[in-house]
Amino acid sequence: MKTVVCVKQVAALGDEVEIDDSGRDVDHDYLESSLNEWDVFALEEALRLKESLDGQDGHEVVVVTVGDEECEQALRRCLAMGADRAIRVEAGGIDESDPLTTARRLAGIIGREVPDLVLCGVQSSDAVQAATGVMLAELAGLPRVAVVTSVHYDATSAKAQVHRELEGGLLDEVEVGMPALLTIQTGINEPRYANLRAIKQANAKEIEVVNVPSEGPRAYTVRKMFVPEKGDGAEMLGSDAAVVAARIAEIVRARLS
Amino acid sequence: MGETRSVFWGLSRAEIVVWYGLIVVSTAIFAVGVAMLVSKYRAGRREPLRDLGQRALRMLHIVFSHTWIRRRDRVAGLGHAMVFYGFLVLFAGTTILGIDTDITKPIFHTNFWTGPFYLAFKVALDLGGLFLLAGLVLLGANRWIRRVPRLDYRRPDRAQGEYDRGLYRAGDVVFVTTLFTLAITGFFLEGTWLAVTHPSFADWSFVGWVLMELFRSAGFTGHAAELSHHVIWWVHGVAAEAFVASIPFTKAVHMLAAPANVALRDTDAGKRLVALPADAEPDQVGYSLVTDLLRHQLLSLDACTKCGKCTDACPAAAAGYPLSPRDLILDLREAAEATLGAHSFLRAAGAPGLDREVLGTTIRAETLWSCTQCMACVEICPVGIEHVPIINQFRRQLVERGELEPMLQSSFETLFKAGNSFGEPKRKRGRWTDGLDFEVKDIRKEPAELLWFVGDYASFDPRSQRVSQALATVLHHAGVDFGILRDGERSAGCDVRRAGEEGLYATLAEANIAAINACDFERVFSSDPHSFHTLKNEYPAFGGDWNVVHHSELLLELVESGRLIPRRRLGYRATYHDPCMLGRYNGVFEAPRRLLAAIGVDLVEMPRNRDNSLCCGAGGGRIWMKEQRAEGSRRTSEQRIDEATALGRLDYFVVACPKDVTMYSDAIKTSGHEGEIELREITELVLESLGIPGGSESEVAETRAGR
Repeated sequence: MKTVVCVKQVAALGDEVEIDDSGRDVDHDYLESSLNEWDVFALEEALRLKESLDGQDGHEVVVVTVGDEECEQALRRCLAMGADRAIRVEAGGIDESDPLTTARRLAGIIGREVPDLVLCGVQSSDAVQAATGVMLAELAGLPRVAVVTSVHYDATSAKAQVHRELEGGLLDEVEVGMPALLTIQTGINEPRYANLRAIKQANAKEIEVVNVPSEGPRAYTVRKMFVPEKGDGAEMLGSDAAVVAARIAEIVRARLS
Repeated sequence: MGETRSVFWGLSRAEIVVWYGLIVVSTAIFAVGVAMLVSKYRAGRREPLRDLGQRALRMLHIVFSHTWIRRRDRVAGLGHAMVFYGFLVLFAGTTILGIDTDITKPIFHTNFWTGPFYLAFKVALDLGGLFLLAGLVLLGANRWIRRVPRLDYRRPDRAQGEYDRGLYRAGDVVFVTTLFTLAITGFFLEGTWLAVTHPSFADWSFVGWVLMELFRSAGFTGHAAELSHHVIWWVHGVAAEAFVASIPFTKAVHMLAAPANVALRDTDAGKRLVALPADAEPDQVGYSLVTDLLRHQLLSLDACTKCGKCTDACPAAAAGYPLSPRDLILDLREAAEATLGAHSFLRAAGAPGLDREVLGTTIRAETLWSCTQCMACVEICPVGIEHVPIINQFRRQLVERGELEPMLQSSFETLFKAGNSFGEPKRKRGRWTDGLDFEVKDIRKEPAELLWFVGDYASFDPRSQRVSQALATVLHHAGVDFGILRDGERSAGCDVRRAGEEGLYATLAEANIAAINACDFERVFSSDPHSFHTLKNEYPAFGGDWNVVHHSELLLELVESGRLIPRRRLGYRATYHDPCMLGRYNGVFEAPRRLLAAIGVDLVEMPRNRDNSLCCGAGGGRIWMKEQRAEGSRRTSEQRIDEATALGRLDYFVVACPKDVTMYSDAIKTSGHEGEIELREITELVLESLGIPGGSESEVAETRAGR
């Protein structure tokens, strides 16, 4: 069984923030980066699946990310946790950072690796769009289950019983045949600790770097990034929903122009 | 030929042949048993052994002086000494007799067991026998009448009914009864022989003589006494041979294993943890199998006499955590015996699939995470068992597997990212100096006489920051030339290492060593005992070898050399809590006490002081983990405050460790003693004694309120 886990190196803001000279991104000096929390749970789930099938040949957990060289840190953490192989797809900078472009690049790897199972985190903690995983499923032609909170895989039937989280604390139980793509929710397991010895050893491992072209429209382009100006205080909008919505739309339009 | 007696008096030739046959059998069983033990120990990891002569001398001193055995229980110490010396004299007597009967007589056709030597021998052996009996009575009374709590086999780490200590209880009874039988039958043997033969020198065997007089006055002489002598001779002889044969298999094994372990033990055990080899395979990291233990550690398991002093001293056990150092050792012993020992031989040689894996099964993760690595158990163990480094090695394998206590895991991740356990940005490390009205040198930029390694807590914790400011003020006042590393400093890693994350420890240590080695200074001091300990004792192995002192030592030095002059005698009544890392780990007991005396603090000692200090519960990485104490039990820190407040009215509970500042500030509030006692760090009292502006408690409070 081969599992591909798609991961992202996410950025977290420190105490202070400054926008860079392009006016479209946060100055990277003010960011602290780490492996996206959701992806840690996805990788842990893949590793547990592999361990539960231990003794059979050819189990492999491959981690993939799209990003620049700095993002290899996230891959190294994955290798330290126990991933067998890591692939980094070159990214195209801020203009190509939208989920559709990223999903297209990942789809290129899925096409090459032909995994039995693809796991993604539900969303990334910096962009919070929950879009890449489901777009990837569509592009790769895989059935997908989103916001998964438990996976029970049956090796003989190559099917998985999966719980997915719905609104209001409801759970949906579905059966999905492999190959498939699942987006994994936090709390599904208790991720193992990647100890420093393992991280140091992972630093010596090779990471495959590939170029996957992404042609076609983008989901969006970042035009401007800014810290909202501090106003004179809150403006209380009226109680009628339609009026409030219209007023909000007006304000947003005015700020973006 | 002078005074003597025949060893085989009244025995037939056939009986003598049977007797020698028994000796051969029992000696053979003993020898096979010892060989099995040695082969069990040899299954452990090899280790270099140096200074054997010195080790032997140290062992002899410890064994013969009984300095370890008598600690914290004088009754048991005295009892054991009587049994030990009594047994030794009797054993020596039997050996001399054996040499006379079986070597000098048949080979050289001469006896030395005669005349004045024989008479002196009689006196000595009667004394030995009396000592042995009295000692056994004392120890038996300690166990079965006085019922010393540490001698019961209750396990704080297991639920009732989950374990059975019946065999150990039976073993205690058998051991004491056998020795008692040996001593009693020995005297009766002597008494009956004297009653029959009534020699002129009978009174030399003074105990036997008393018995003889009793027998004779009761008319118990002649044939009846002779027959009794015959029967008792065999009871005594068979009991002795059975005892010899049983030594490797029963509680008596400690007679061999304990002195051997005292000689072979690592004198730095727990204090200097051993670095991992860089190329270690994942399954070689730490311990998971019983065969991962070092050879002398496997030996040490058999040395355990189950005296319970370790569990008695253990802060985790006291707070109802699932850890009992004694039972951890006994679990390991049982696992080693089942898989490698005599029992495994008996169980159809090499029954396959015997599980040597103990981590996660016999030795539970929750037990391992309960330990504060405070060293109380290792320090008090009368036979030198190394619980703390063994626990540490098991933790290393848990870390290697990534199976961590959840809160510990996130703390490690924070430490890796931020270099401190508070998750604060590096550049904020020196911010505590902002509140001072003078500059603290950045030692990376300008040389200073002293490099102050501040540590995480003293840098970031708001209460301990005040202590750091007080210390800076005191040093500034004394004109001491010192500097700090500011954002060049990382967590020293002492507790990271004790929690088992050796890779992270090495990373932190290497970063600190590189930073410190790039500075120009003469000495290092730390106001954090944990940092102090690892810098002083463990950094040398990583290339950081400096003269390191604790701030209490430095302050005492300044007072004694007259650079600091306490102008105000404080006159407070206070008690002092020894931090584990300063006291037990490094033997610094007196410096803080002398310092308190110098500033006029009237010190009232808690019952548990110095080496017997009770850990606050924060060590070994515990401060980062969720509490595991049993329902209804009190935290050790609260028990400590109970202990302090029981001393009568005290002004202050004095500490010398930033973690203690945090732990006991909380404990004073949660123990229900708020308002009865207050916490002060020793530096704050020193500052107050200087009589300079900003020094007194009221002024400190005002500044605090004004800020």
